[in-house]
Amino acid sequence: MTLSRTHILALLTLYAIILGLRILVEVVGPLGPITGQLLTLLAFYIALGQAFNIFLGMTGYVDFGYVAFMALGMYGMASGVVRAYEAGLPGYYGIVFGLIQTITLTSLLALIVGGIALRLRGAYFAIATISVNEGLRYLVEGLDIWEGSRGLIVSGPLIRLFGSEGFSLLATIISDIMVFSVALLALVISIVFLNTRIGYALKAIREDEDAARVMGVNTTMYKVLAFTTSGILGGLLGAAWSFKVASIYPPDAFNILYTIEAIILVMLGGAGTLAGPIVSGTLYGSLKYFLAGILPGFQLLVFAPILVAVIVVAPEGIVGALRAYIPATRRFIA
Amino acid sequence: MADITSILPYYIISGLLVGSIYGLATIGLTLIFGVLRVVNVGHGAYIMIGMYVTFWLFTLYSLNPFITLIPAFLVGLALGMLLFYVALKRLLRAPELSTLISTFGFGVILEELAKVLWGADYRGFVYSLGSLYFQGIPLPLVRVWPAVIALGLVIALYVLLYRTRLGVAVRAVTQDPEGAMVCGVDVERVYFLTVALGIGLTTASGALLAIYFQQGINPYIGHLYTLRAFVIAVLGGLGSPIGAFIGGLIVGVIEQASVPLFTMLGAPNPFGLSVFLTFTLILVILLLRPQGLLGR
Repeated sequence: MTLSRTHILALLTLYAIILGLRILVEVVGPLGPITGQLLTLLAFYIALGQAFNIFLGMTGYVDFGYVAFMALGMYGMASGVVRAYEAGLPGYYGIVFGLIQTITLTSLLALIVGGIALRLRGAYFAIATISVNEGLRYLVEGLDIWEGSRGLIVSGPLIRLFGSEGFSLLATIISDIMVFSVALLALVISIVFLNTRIGYALKAIREDEDAARVMGVNTTMYKVLAFTTSGILGGLLGAAWSFKVASIYPPDAFNILYTIEAIILVMLGGAGTLAGPIVSGTLYGSLKYFLAGILPGFQLLVFAPILVAVIVVAPEGIVGALRAYIPATRRFIA
Repeated sequence: MADITSILPYYIISGLLVGSIYGLATIGLTLIFGVLRVVNVGHGAYIMIGMYVTFWLFTLYSLNPFITLIPAFLVGLALGMLLFYVALKRLLRAPELSTLISTFGFGVILEELAKVLWGADYRGFVYSLGSLYFQGIPLPLVRVWPAVIALGLVIALYVLLYRTRLGVAVRAVTQDPEGAMVCGVDVERVYFLTVALGIGLTTASGALLAIYFQQGINPYIGHLYTLRAFVIAVLGGLGSPIGAFIGGLIVGVIEQASVPLFTMLGAPNPFGLSVFLTFTLILVILLLRPQGLLGR
């Protein structure tokens, strides 16, 4: 698939519409069923899908521990803010420090796990990643890191640092815009990857890894590159999301639900496609928002069968199916 | 502080007891991987189902928990057949990613169904048979018998694999599916039976685990067992059922011995650290011996 200017413009327009709506809702209030909460969910799921797509979609390797990156991001940002508060430094120091911690922790995790497990094939990698998630969670609880199972309280220090007015802005519109920036960053990186030799290498790996290796592609390096990029983006997403939670507990931060959602988002939209995450993120986010009112706690019972059905019946996802069956869409959707 | 050398034999014995069930709980995973080259990522969900079968039959009908092993095994067989037809049959020639996600999704469906039907609360029961004494320390019979039964089931599986025609077919498909097909083996039937049997053994191990631990059954309990099964499978070499059993014994002992060790070292949450230890073990084995301790 070659990306044209039309493809990129169409996507950027969609992104602009969602961001514009979020700001509009902030200024004039909810527009009918479109509320700030709905748009927050959309931004979150688009970002999650777009970030995870760089690894799962482009390499075809499944990371069942993706939430570990988000958790490290949440903890990285929150502990940075708490440390700044305890040291009596101004709030933005905490945010900068939190960002540095997030990027350091997530890239370390990605390099360690990826460096070891990505030398092996998919099955072994999947096994290693499932254990990463549970293992890290129990490390945080076991060694009492970041207050362990008592939970790291974020809202208190945030209110002291930024005032209650500043905190409520930070927890809503500002964190939404941060989430949105992660989505945009992931989109831009995807475009760059797809348009350079990185994209070709990843595609070659996904289609036939042995052949790619024979042709001289350094497969491990490209896999680790995609894994680390996707992991750091996941961490940044967690960091942006951490402003919305009052305190962080290991079972919530490492909740496998986020991994399941990330896999659903990528596969439903179309693995490796550029427009997949925005399609599935909008669909999933809205359904989740409206289902929460009707069937609280039932989302997974609705989405897990959909996931299995997509894999069995239409493994190419919505965008892939559109491109395959309606040729006219190929000009706009990549 | 107790002297570690005096209590160590006790922890090794209880490690071997629980490890025997862990081994059985992993054999289904390695059997399915060996024959179909499919990693059942939702593995723990079937253990959870087995635990609930025992819990409900004992709580509602006062059925002897050891008898519930049979319905648990049958439920597993049925689930295995369903798993094969819904999530595996059409994906056998698809990329690895497909079966990883479809088995994962199937496991999530089971967990969510369990949550809707039985709630997310922890459940448990009390069933006792008295104790054996080892150096004055009691070993409850509800822990000894499940381990013995698990060993018995593993031996039965061994006999099935090495002394019957079906076993020959299964091993032939493991080594070379196309070669087996040329020799007249109905490969798809072998796949089907392997998945059914593998899941059946897994739910049976869930029933034994419920008798062994009796408390803390919940729809998401399987996650911990998935992790453990993966450590054991990788340790024993993916695809080797006997390796899985030996791996189970090793992990059982490591777990049982590490908890008191971490307690003595003054760790705030010894159980959490012991789970972390198993996780690092996976990475270390994958780094040093990805073919498993017993693999070639």
